[in-house]
Amino acid sequence: MEMFKSLIVILLSSVLVNNYVLSRFLGICPFLGVSKKLGQAVGMGISVTAVMLLASAITWPIQRLLLDRLGLEYMQTIVFILVIAALVQMLEVVLKKFSPALHKALGVYLPLITTNCAVLGVAINNITDGYSFVESIVSSLGCGLGFLLAMVLFAGLRSRIDESEVPKPFRGLAVTLIAASFVSLAFMGLAGIVDTLFA
Amino acid sequence: MKKDGYLSILTKGVFKENPVFILILGTCPTLATTTNVVGAFGMGIAALVVLLCSNVLISLLRKVIPDAVRIPCYITIIAGFVTVVQMVVQAYFPDLYEMLGVYLALIVVNCIILGRAEMFASKNTVGKSALDGIGMGLGFTLALCAMATVREVFGAASFAGMEIAFLAPYKIEFLVKAPGGMLVYGLLIALVSALTHGKGPKKKSFACAGCPSAAHCHTGACQSGKEEA
Amino acid sequence: MKKSIKNVFVLVSICAVVSVLLAITNAVTAPIIAENERASANAALLEVMPDGGSFTSVALDGYTLPATVTEAYLGENGGYVFKLKTVGYSSGFVIMCGVNADGTVSGAVCLASTETLGHEKTFGALLTGKTAENIDAVDTVSGATKTTGAYRAAVKDALNAALILGGGSVDIRTEEEILRDRLTAALPAAQGEFEKLFITESLDGVDAVYAAVNRTGYVLVIGDAFVATDLDGHVITKETAQDETAETAMAALLASELSPITLDAYEGLPSQLVSASRTATGNYDLVIKGAGYGIAGGSAYHPASGEYIYIRVSLTRDGRILDCLTLSQAETDGIGSACADESFYGQFVGKTEETYGEIDAIGGATYTTDGYKQAILRAFACVKIFEGGVES
Repeated sequence: MEMFKSLIVILLSSVLVNNYVLSRFLGICPFLGVSKKLGQAVGMGISVTAVMLLASAITWPIQRLLLDRLGLEYMQTIVFILVIAALVQMLEVVLKKFSPALHKALGVYLPLITTNCAVLGVAINNITDGYSFVESIVSSLGCGLGFLLAMVLFAGLRSRIDESEVPKPFRGLAVTLIAASFVSLAFMGLAGIVDTLFA
Repeated sequence: MKKDGYLSILTKGVFKENPVFILILGTCPTLATTTNVVGAFGMGIAALVVLLCSNVLISLLRKVIPDAVRIPCYITIIAGFVTVVQMVVQAYFPDLYEMLGVYLALIVVNCIILGRAEMFASKNTVGKSALDGIGMGLGFTLALCAMATVREVFGAASFAGMEIAFLAPYKIEFLVKAPGGMLVYGLLIALVSALTHGKGPKKKSFACAGCPSAAHCHTGACQSGKEEA
Repeated sequence: MKKSIKNVFVLVSICAVVSVLLAITNAVTAPIIAENERASANAALLEVMPDGGSFTSVALDGYTLPATVTEAYLGENGGYVFKLKTVGYSSGFVIMCGVNADGTVSGAVCLASTETLGHEKTFGALLTGKTAENIDAVDTVSGATKTTGAYRAAVKDALNAALILGGGSVDIRTEEEILRDRLTAALPAAQGEFEKLFITESLDGVDAVYAAVNRTGYVLVIGDAFVATDLDGHVITKETAQDETAETAMAALLASELSPITLDAYEGLPSQLVSASRTATGNYDLVIKGAGYGIAGGSAYHPASGEYIYIRVSLTRDGRILDCLTLSQAETDGIGSACADESFYGQFVGKTEETYGEIDAIGGATYTTDGYKQAILRAFACVKIFEGGVES
């Protein structure tokens, strides 16, 4: 029960309070670039969640069972990024071969994920936060869902911006960032909610 | 590239093609590490060193690295330099290491670095690549410092840790929090756009042009964004 | 084919070269990083022991230390710094505490906690300079007794641990453990399992009676002595001066008989009286309910539970409390719930209507304390009505 509770807290806080995009600024590029349409936002969000889960499931054992035991902690960054790059490549090949429909839906987002700092960020944070394997999986699921949530919310907001009259210097990224700032402000209001949930 | 003099290679990164305000690359560290000037300067210099080293090495090896495996090769080289920088910072500047946290390791996925490797260093001589790296790195550092100055001075009433007493009662604390970062970034981009009257190179829709994956993702995602922009 | 071999060869050699580069850098920087970490760890230790100089870690195997102690460091001045993990309002309460060579607290700070009120940040300063003898005299903060009580207990653990590491021996048992150990020493057959008897008779000189759960006998606490008797109330090993007292008390206890009183037969009894019995010797055994926070309190943050506090209390016919026990309660957890602790309800034993108010209130739980006292006052009234014999 105690463990279940702590897992729920990890999940909710990574979705709502420590949202990777809105409070830690990880994965901002796709957040700003691929949130123009709701469909794209959902596709990107799901792909990122899947890759995050797989990446954490692979990098955690590599760090704990291999690097830590061999005293090669300093190889973390290089090993993790290569694992993620290879994972994305493999996922693309596998999807193409076994599920062309899924590949058609999500494939276009996969190459962009290698350089999505949220994926590498989650993998590294799981290690530095001292999470167990199960906690790591739950935390990456939460981060992925948080990313998806932010993308979907923001896609809805952006369709409104497109319809409005924006002063010339603000057109494009400037107004988008300012809108993102307000979404982030709204998320700040959620801080503290998770702590009091079980109090 | 031919008509570009060496000096213009150096300066274009700082002004005309500033990675942060014009090319809109490396947004994550731009937002995350600019809550104070010291952190921003440290981040800028760390990225500059990685950019310079990786540009030089990739340019040296540009005839050796086969096209098919170039991206993994670039990533390995960049990750290597990032780790070296990480260890050096941890050893000699522990406070800065504490401040930058995971963002130091995340230089690896900073689009600026992979982007310059793909777009410049793989096609140019060592000297030009080095200048390009320094220019882009300086541009990145200056932009980060500019943003951090705005956020720290108005948000925390201090500059590089030194308190500015007369501003203390008026500090806008939300500027040093997450939403403030996005707001200041948005306002500064608008300011730059207003000053240049949009004359800078056409904004290459959100990071995609410089993104090394751009070649792969011809199918969609970012391109559709570009068309509509 | 040839091409792909070349691809792999280039990639592998780049990886190899980069790895070598990293290994070299690591060899250069690792000692400096380790030194930095040691220095910053040392700086944290200096915070609670400013004149500790450079600290060395102490291996804790081979010592029986209080369970809260997780790490220990020895300073150049002969003092110890301990890292302690305890449970306050919630778990994960980590404290660092320094103990000087002369056995005084040099400083204590909270390293991590999920306590709610913030007292863990300031309470350490109040404990500085205290010793194992006078630390219990530091009052806990009312309203945050769990946090500050756990803090004080952890620092006391640190003081004891310092004595043990210094070669001394300290009783690190809790009060309950000491009581259980003494009871077991008096009656080993009970195998350490006792329950306290609720007393309904006047027992001269006897402070408490415990029954063995496995029904092998009784242990009477008489002043400082623990006297064991068999089930018939005969002292097992006759040797102490209290044997006489014990046998008399047990005879009275075993002869005691409770007969229920029909409440409807009396007029004017308070509605809070749940049930009542009378002993052959004329004492009363009442169950009465008190309106604590669960009934009288309640706020938006801590809604009232709607439950009464059920209290069992026995009195002599002239209104002296023989025993008192909280049967059930649903007061605010961690605050009013202290009314279920013997340290609270035990205070009423021996009190009369004139003196029952002289008890220590539960910190931060005015509703609970007042409701409890109100119920005790009603018990005195009930006894008067029963004794007045106003039968309808």
